[in-house]
Amino acid sequence: MQEGRVLPAKEINRDLLRSILTTPNWYWVTVAVMAIIVLGAMSAAGLMINRGMGMTGLNRPVMWGFFIVNFVFWIGISHAGVMLSAILRLSKAEWRRPATRAAEVLTVFSLMTAVMMPLIHTGRPWRLVYWVYTLPFVPYDFARGIWPNIRSPLVWDPSAIFTYLTSSILFVMVALIPDMAVLRDRTTGIRHQAYALMAMGWQGTPRQWKLQIISGILLSALILPVFVSVHSIVSWDFGMAVAVKSWHSTIFAPYFVVGAVHSGVSAVVFVMILLRWIYGWENYIRHEHIDALGRLLIVVATGWFYFFVMEVIFGFYGREADEIAVREFQFTQPPWNLWFIFFTGLTYFLPVSLWLFKWTRRNLWIMSIACISVNIGMWLERFLIIVPGLAQKQMFTFTWYTYAPSAVEITIIGGTFAMVTLLMLLFSKVLPLIPLYDIKEGDMLKTEIKIGRATVPAVFRED
Amino acid sequence: MPMAFGIALAVSGLLLGLGIIGFAIRAVSDGFGAHGPWGYYAAIFSFIFMVTGAAPLAASIFRVTKSHWRRPLTRVSEMFSLIGIFNILLFIPLMFVLPAFRNPNLTPLAENELDLRRTIWFEVPIGANAPQWLDLLGIACLALCALVILWLSAVPDMAQARLRATGFRRSFYGVLAGHWHGTKSQWLNQKAGLALLGAFYFMLLVFMQFTISSDYAQSLIPGWKDSIFPVIYTLTGFQSSLGLMLVILFVLRRWGGYKGYIGISLFWSASKILLGLTLLWVYHMFAFGITYWYGRLEVEQNILKYLLFQSYGWLFLANLIFSFFLPFLTLLWNPVRRSDWGPALAGVFVLIGAFLFSWRIFVGAFNAGDVYNIGLEHVPAFVGPDLWDVLIVLGGLGGAVFIYLLGSRLIPMMCVWEIKEGAMYQHMGTFMRGRYLVLAKPE
Repeated sequence: MQEGRVLPAKEINRDLLRSILTTPNWYWVTVAVMAIIVLGAMSAAGLMINRGMGMTGLNRPVMWGFFIVNFVFWIGISHAGVMLSAILRLSKAEWRRPATRAAEVLTVFSLMTAVMMPLIHTGRPWRLVYWVYTLPFVPYDFARGIWPNIRSPLVWDPSAIFTYLTSSILFVMVALIPDMAVLRDRTTGIRHQAYALMAMGWQGTPRQWKLQIISGILLSALILPVFVSVHSIVSWDFGMAVAVKSWHSTIFAPYFVVGAVHSGVSAVVFVMILLRWIYGWENYIRHEHIDALGRLLIVVATGWFYFFVMEVIFGFYGREADEIAVREFQFTQPPWNLWFIFFTGLTYFLPVSLWLFKWTRRNLWIMSIACISVNIGMWLERFLIIVPGLAQKQMFTFTWYTYAPSAVEITIIGGTFAMVTLLMLLFSKVLPLIPLYDIKEGDMLKTEIKIGRATVPAVFRED
Repeated sequence: MPMAFGIALAVSGLLLGLGIIGFAIRAVSDGFGAHGPWGYYAAIFSFIFMVTGAAPLAASIFRVTKSHWRRPLTRVSEMFSLIGIFNILLFIPLMFVLPAFRNPNLTPLAENELDLRRTIWFEVPIGANAPQWLDLLGIACLALCALVILWLSAVPDMAQARLRATGFRRSFYGVLAGHWHGTKSQWLNQKAGLALLGAFYFMLLVFMQFTISSDYAQSLIPGWKDSIFPVIYTLTGFQSSLGLMLVILFVLRRWGGYKGYIGISLFWSASKILLGLTLLWVYHMFAFGITYWYGRLEVEQNILKYLLFQSYGWLFLANLIFSFFLPFLTLLWNPVRRSDWGPALAGVFVLIGAFLFSWRIFVGAFNAGDVYNIGLEHVPAFVGPDLWDVLIVLGGLGGAVFIYLLGSRLIPMMCVWEIKEGAMYQHMGTFMRGRYLVLAKPE
């Protein structure tokens, strides 16, 4: 399935560097709008820190709300990068080529956004230092007898996330080196110097290519365990808490990982469709690529649905009264039951029914709707895991409480979406969002083969 | 018939006979009233069902993903459909030993007792023995679906064979090939049918692995509420079935005269998937272990002690070594993955691991005590096999091998039409200064 024509290298350079070397009118307008929203969110966060957590809708027993939901959501989105880049690179899937860079960059930016959420959630972020370590020069208030619990999964989280962030940045940077060299040769002045510095003397010698390919493969293999560990550990923030009945489930780790891949890959598909539209990259992001990603998403979504069903069934299986109460809350009481219907419909039934047909997978509008639907659904999923469990955490019904987010929380959450968009836009102005060398390599490997009277597309492969 | 084949057939037939004797003695001496003595029987059923149930799936999945290297593997995989019938027969006695839904000893003021055994069927009014019948129905549907997949896949080959065979075989192939003449619409229908049936088989298999692992393992250990266990069971099935296929392909390549058809690329590609499944297996085991261990709930600690650290601790260690450490350390190296012996060796390891897994879980579950308790009050002891258990286990293994060998006398072990199709789709070509595979991507 190769629908595009083989493009000359010059044309590839011209097309894919267009976003960097020229600036369309809409660009700065969009950047300004996003920056204003981000500033608004920062102001809301500042106000909240100044006035206290009473500005949020959090109250006992629901002490985790929109911020933590959003944290899990952005961690989930960050899983797209490795799924598309590392796994598809190792499995030599040809259709991965235009998707990898956008996915990797989205990983980095969504991780950076995710990290901010627990910081904001603490209310007093400077005290976070006590979570991580206690050093002699840190003025920890030992007299209060409250010690940081280093065995808590909340301490595992930063270790895993920062390892993932570091390795993801490394992954992006290694793949960027040949493209930096192309940019170095096409720019002047300070930009030329900056690209020359980042290209690290790349000349495209056989030895350099060999090292670049080997490092790409090694990083792909090494990043996979990190990728799995990150969302597993995020899931154990919940799974290890025996006090919240609906959270203590052994399946949480793979359930969260598959869910993350589901939302992450959907987000990447949407970003790819946007890129194709705004930069006119029809020759690079083709219908066949979106089609292949749609088919991949059917598998991922069905895998996710299987884990979801297991999680729900075993919630009832124990026949423990307090867990059943949480499930009843989720499934039968308004508005939670309505959210639950929306969540399952938006996450699985609507998108998968759209992905089942080739013509729908090749319609970019339909694909965009399906991918946005998945991400709304996955956001709701995290909300429905976190809040109802906490709302019914206590044994006594008079301590049950439902949660409603405040305007401050909603503004901050909106700001995170604007921030990721802003960072992606800024990146696209500096570096190519589709890897030039990968597209050129893919074109070189294309050939044709004669079967009977027909000539069909073919590729060169290592036997 | 080659002599080695005849010997293998005779030995497996003999083992099957011994197994029948063991089963008969177990039935006469212990009856079907209590489930405890049937632990080893359940373990061997689970092992055979797990491995042979998942095996036909490989052909369907790799066909859907258009993996060209699959072609020599498809028939080896689909032939396991024949063992589905054996699975049905093996399951029937287990229907009678599953404890009832409702606690027969229930008194209104009884402490630490549930009125119902924990079960995935909940409290739906489907009758006391409904789960057993539903399980049987599921296993039968699975076997039927697998047989239809085998038939549909083999139709073109049978049409070819009916032209060359004589006597009984000619009429056998003639009947099964039906009106196949290889028209375009027949090919399109056949491929669509295989894809649809493959998808259905996949869903049904995963569901059946969920019900069997829950009804015959998890629900028998009081307090064991573990949502990841059906997933681990399914993964063990996928891992061990791929391992078994690699072993069979190795034997066929080395001694079966198929070296020209079974290339190293098959072992190379399949071994990467086996490595992935091995890593997934240990990841899921870890997710289970750490959640239970960290929670520090007494009921969960007792289950860990029972199945992982104390009573069946040595079996768990062996299970971990064979299902993870040995195949992982074998398949980690590219030169080993790129050989025929390396993946086959890893296949042997994972098969042993899967057997130990079934032993640990099912014998443990069948001997965990009062199934109506809220949780394990103490850690039960390990239960070893007696002579009849050994015969039953050997008989089960022998029976499965016997049926597979018999089937291989009637149905070609290589999918002829797929091999021919594959030969059209690929050839060696020159790229830059090297020789590489040129692979057609028609769709």
